This record gives sequence, structure tokens and C-alpha cells, in this order.
Amino acid sequence: MSGFAAWLHATAFSQTIQAVSWIVPLLQSIHILMIGIVFVSSLMISLRVLGRVHADEPFEAVWHRFAPWMRIALAVMLVTGLLLVAGEPGREFGSTSFWLKMALLLVAFAVTRQLGRSPEGPRARPAAIGVILLWIAIIFLGRAIAYDVEVWRSLSIHA
Amino acid sequence: MELAGLVQDIHDSGVGEWMRSSLKAMPVVEALHVLAATTVFGTVLLVDLRLLGIPNLKRAVSRVEGEVIRLTWIAFAVAVVTGALMFAANAQTYFINTAFRLKLLAILAAGLNMLVFETVIRRDVAAWDRGVPPPRAARIAGLLSILLWIAVIVLARWIGFTKGYDFVVPDDPNIKFDF
Repeated sequence: MSGFAAWLHATAFSQTIQAVSWIVPLLQSIHILMIGIVFVSSLMISLRVLGRVHADEPFEAVWHRFAPWMRIALAVMLVTGLLLVAGEPGREFGSTSFWLKMALLLVAFAVTRQLGRSPEGPRARPAAIGVILLWIAIIFLGRAIAYDVEVWRSLSIHA
Repeated sequence: MELAGLVQDIHDSGVGEWMRSSLKAMPVVEALHVLAATTVFGTVLLVDLRLLGIPNLKRAVSRVEGEVIRLTWIAFAVAVVTGALMFAANAQTYFINTAFRLKLLAILAAGLNMLVFETVIRRDVAAWDRGVPPPRAARIAGLLSILLWIAVIVLARWIGFTKGYDFVVPDDPNIKFDF
């Protein structure tokens, strides 16, 4: 484990998260419930760009319907995510999947923001589809953290 | 054929064997399960919130529901299939796990709630489809649905923390099983 991860792992804060049996399952449960909100909100925005849902409303109405929910759910996921990492820093920091997931999150934020600003135009449709694929990849990478060495072999930071 | 025997047979099946021995299958199946389950939850939540008048009563209930219903069903089907595959790998362990049993009961309850909503409560939907608050039965069904599906997901996570494994984890030092 890297120096920082080892230090964090040894703190009372981290030890508590690890030791109290219901904390990690609760954090993971909240994290998963939020995925439902973020993913489906993003899906609805993308489907509107593709003209498949909410055709009775302007894009702005759909954006204002779902973007706030996405923001709040993502904020909750940031908190639960940080706490989960604080509980097992070595596992996360040493996994390629984790860092790749973080990078793709930033890309997803950027694409979402751009989509919100320009829902029309030639790049809107590919962006709408692309952001959904990004979320799916992020979900898969989230699961892959537990299997990092198996998934990446020598590319895994652990290895 | 009695239940315990059936569970054993599922565990011993080729599918179960494949899920246990293929190191590639489990992570993919699990990730698909998460994707499917979160999609079920998100789409169901969308309709339930509308029944509760959140964020407003502007769009017709039948329209909100109609836009996501197919997605909900497809996602549910994927969740059931991936769930069955995970069950096959570890059948006995899941079978005796309390959280797993409660989860199945919660899904059943959620399904019953939806059935009652679709066949009974929704009959006069034209009267409250938009602009007016849905009748109390509809609002109760919506709230119950949210609570039950949250329970499903919490129980599902709890399975991971309370079940053991009924196969031998390979001794390869390069493989870290870290559920």
C-alpha cells in the first residue's frame, strides 16, 4: 500500500468505517440507489436529445427536470464514495479500475454539461449516446475494483 | 422433487459450474446485475414520484409511465437472468441466507403492489391523469413502491456481507477475491 493509503488506513476514522459492521453496506446501498437516480436522469436527458421521450416539452424543461436530481445524487455519491475509499484506501488507490473510473467520471461531467448547453447540432446525438455508454462503463469499472488484478493483470496497480 | 434437492441440482448444474470456474463470468454478470437493478429502481422511482406529485402534476401519469415501462421490464428481465446465474454459482449459500429470502419477498411484495396499482387503482386514471393529485390509494402505492425497492437494494447489499461461499476459492496468488 502506498504511504498515504497506509496512513489513512491506520486512522481512527478509517478503522471505524471498517470495524462497524453496518457502515460499509449502508454506504454501498446509498451509492447504488444514487446510481439509479443519476443513470436514469442522464438517460432521460439523452433520450430527449434523441427525441424519444418528453417530445411534448422543450429540452430546457427536461434539463431542469432531471439535472438537479443528477447533481444532488452525484454529490451524495461523492460523499459515500469518499467514505468508502477512506475505509479501504489501499484497495481503491491500488486499483487501475478506480482511477479509470474517476477519469471517466470527469469526462461524463464534461459531456453532460456540454449536452446541457448544446442539445442541438451535429455533436448532440453522439454525445447523448456517448454519455450513456460512459455511465455504463463507469458502473462496470466500479464492480471491477474488486476484481482488479484479474481484470487488468499486469496493468493493475496492485500487481 | 423437494426444495433442498432442487437447490443442490441447480448448484451442480453446468451453468453453476461455469459461473464458479469461469473467472471472467462473475464480474460481468454482477456488473450487469447492478446496471439492470439500478435501471429498474430509477425508472420505477420516476413513476412513483409522479404519483406523489413530485416535481409537479403537469405531465400525465400515463405518459410518464408509458415512456419508461418497456425499459423497466427489460431491465427487470436482465436482473432476473443475471441474478439466477449468480444463484446457480452459490445456490445453497443463497438459499439459506436470510437477507436473500427477505429480498425475494420484498420483490414479490413490490410486484403485488404494482399489480394492484395496474389492475385496480389505475382504472379511473383518466380522472386524475394530470393536473390533479392522484387518489390516496395511488399515492400509497407510489410510496410503498419506493420503500419496497429501496429495501430490495439494501437487502441485496446485505447478502454480500452475510453469505459465505460454497466453493473453494482458487489458491492462485495473482487472484485477489475482494467482494
